[in-house]
Amino acid sequence: MNKHQWQTFTLHNPYLFSLLLLVIITLVNLFVQPDMFHRDTINNNMRVFLPLILLAAGEAVVILGGGIDISVGSIVSIVNVILATQVGLQGNPQKMYLMMGFVLLVGMAAGAINGFFVAYMRLQPIITTYATSFLYAGLALFILPNPGGGIPQSFSSFYRDTTPLGLPLAFFIIALILLAWGFVQQTRYGRYLSAVGGKADAAYETAVPVSAIQFSTYVAAGLMAALSGIAVTMLVSSGNSTTGDQLTLSSITAVVIGGTTLSGGVGGVAGAMIGAVILGLIKNIISFANIDTWWQTFVNAAIIVVALAAPGVINLFRRKR
Amino acid sequence: MALSLSARNVVKRYGGVTALSNANLDVNAGEVVALIGANGSGKSTLSKIINGVVVLDGGQLLLDGQFMEFSSPQAAKNLGISTVFQELSLIPQMTVAENIWLAREPLKRGGVIDRKMIREKSDALLNLFAGTYKSSLHPDVTVTSLPPDEKQIVEILKAVSFDPRLLILDEATASLDSRQVERLFELVKRWKQEGKAIVFVSHRMEEIFRIADRYSVLKNGVTVGTGAMKDVNTKDIVSLMVGEESAENAVERKKAVAQNLSGSSVELDVNELRTDFLKGLTFQLHKGELLGIGGLKGQGQRDLLLALFGDLKYTGSINFSGELVHFKNTRQAMNKGVALVPGERAKEGLLFIRSILENLLLPSWGEYGFPTRMRKARESANRIGSTLNLKMAGLDEPVTGLSGGNAQKVVIGKWLLRNPRLLLLDDPTKGVDVGTKAEFYRLLARLCADGLSVLFYSSDDEELLGLCDRVLVMHDGNIRQELFGETLTKSNLVAASLGASRESMQ
Repeated sequence: MNKHQWQTFTLHNPYLFSLLLLVIITLVNLFVQPDMFHRDTINNNMRVFLPLILLAAGEAVVILGGGIDISVGSIVSIVNVILATQVGLQGNPQKMYLMMGFVLLVGMAAGAINGFFVAYMRLQPIITTYATSFLYAGLALFILPNPGGGIPQSFSSFYRDTTPLGLPLAFFIIALILLAWGFVQQTRYGRYLSAVGGKADAAYETAVPVSAIQFSTYVAAGLMAALSGIAVTMLVSSGNSTTGDQLTLSSITAVVIGGTTLSGGVGGVAGAMIGAVILGLIKNIISFANIDTWWQTFVNAAIIVVALAAPGVINLFRRKR
Repeated sequence: MALSLSARNVVKRYGGVTALSNANLDVNAGEVVALIGANGSGKSTLSKIINGVVVLDGGQLLLDGQFMEFSSPQAAKNLGISTVFQELSLIPQMTVAENIWLAREPLKRGGVIDRKMIREKSDALLNLFAGTYKSSLHPDVTVTSLPPDEKQIVEILKAVSFDPRLLILDEATASLDSRQVERLFELVKRWKQEGKAIVFVSHRMEEIFRIADRYSVLKNGVTVGTGAMKDVNTKDIVSLMVGEESAENAVERKKAVAQNLSGSSVELDVNELRTDFLKGLTFQLHKGELLGIGGLKGQGQRDLLLALFGDLKYTGSINFSGELVHFKNTRQAMNKGVALVPGERAKEGLLFIRSILENLLLPSWGEYGFPTRMRKARESANRIGSTLNLKMAGLDEPVTGLSGGNAQKVVIGKWLLRNPRLLLLDDPTKGVDVGTKAEFYRLLARLCADGLSVLFYSSDDEELLGLCDRVLVMHDGNIRQELFGETLTKSNLVAASLGASRESMQ
């Protein structure tokens, strides 16, 4: 392949490297956890990975559009505490459905606040969402100062045990998102997204509604964060105002492993979801490989560094030739 | 429908800078109007007002006799105004087809983009320039992997893809080769016959005379002349651009510089210097000479200075004080006594948030040992500060607090501390106040008298005329002309900048 073809190829398929990485990580995981492909194990794993998968999908949209959102974890926390306090362990299913609809609106509203400041007030995305992350985290703490609350048993067992056609529920949700993303990419909106993230000035000169697109990415991220919050709540079936704290940076890492450049314009949702699965599997490997507790964080981080650096190294070698 | 657009008395300010103070332009269907002007005369600003990218502060735009106000590029586009931007409005990561049809993608039912249609239409457009491509330019290549000329062609195709009524070509020929320019001109003639109105912004005088029907000359944001192309020659256009030669020259002529050069040795002997952009430059610089480099912006002046400073790969030979050198990085150049005052002071010349002291000593900390002998360092900094008459509250103040002129003194000062033998200046008086400029000219004269050789690029023609006895005018990566003695006049300088041959000026 010559240089031009390679460039075009990698720009069109940014998630290819993450797919390769996924295969490698899966093989390693299989080595330390032989029953990995057992139905229950897959379901257990995917159930745990799903919140981050959803969050990374939303973050990918923002980053693709040239921004960044570091408040998504706090939105997860808000959603979690609202569900846990407003529905409760003894709450009836109707109330739960109602509140699930409500938290989706909350997530979009939080995203809209981010989007308003970034797209229309032209504030720096990283600073703005850093500030609003405290706003949202503070709100979550106000709603639920001490861990507690819960959701009806039936919902957590639904989340745990639903396996249509013998496959984990998460697979179907992922498939739905991929379908939706595939459709978006076929529309003008998809093109606008890459254009705004790629070179906003040029997009503006070409009459692309730059601000509206930027705004919409944050709303999308807020919505995905709310979905992620619902998934987390069903997974842990209780409330804690710090639930989403560690998720933010993991979601950004997943996006980058998935081939989306932090400068925007290249990448997509599929890669980000693969990235989230990879991050989950790495944790899995570490817990099954009997690594000394003291070393776990180190090993985890080391693998992530290698995963992040590898695509760059490959391109470096290609250039040398 | 036949179109007529006129811009009347347009005013545009950016902060305190007035880009346009009284600009006028009329263009009608079926004609090509050339918009001509020197660097910073406001050509690009005027075209960006017509296509809605910037909003005017005063004056009016009339489209087909109706008062218009474009609030966005979208509004202008809907009225059939399209632009080939000088800086290109392409998204590097997207493909050729995606770029051409961005925001106007043909849709199938359900809002899905019709890829097949896009592909066919793109192929048809690409055929307009068929036979002039070097690589295989097809709709599915990403723009970032294309060479500059093909990017330019994609930008042109993008602008004509929706059949505009008014097409603005802002420096559209700058990166095209002659065959591609030929093809573009054939197309322009065809578009003209189809009844499109075309505004042609270019620096190349010869092209303007070939393609334009009428002209409009801008000087410092004011339209100073309009008329039919057939009534004028190059000389007339140049004299419009230059204006009346003012009796008192803005720059005091420093005759003391470089008088007895015939006796002095050659300090720098450059032979066939080539980079990606430079096309084989050959020139000599004497010891103690102040050699000017002129020409329009972006004709390779920056490349030349960077190559000499070891910051750009080049081929060719450079002989520096009798020694054959080939600098691979800036450190080697520095150690041989070369210094560069870069063009973008804030970005390349200074560590903006650090103190004056740190900036002054940045290239020479090594000489103050480890641990650093701070007192000696401060003494040196103070000494150079007073030589340069640097106005500062103290050495520990941040450079951000300094005015443009004083900040530039810091950039120069940091090199003077190293006692360079060759000083490369990239438009050093840009954004510098008049008083400091005068000081700076005196400083240059003194340094040259002390035997320092200076290569001095300036975008200000007056400065070159006033300070230098010899000026190399660059055009398109080449030295277009060497002006000295009697030939060193403003009209010659402007004409050579525009690439006009000397014959057409007679």
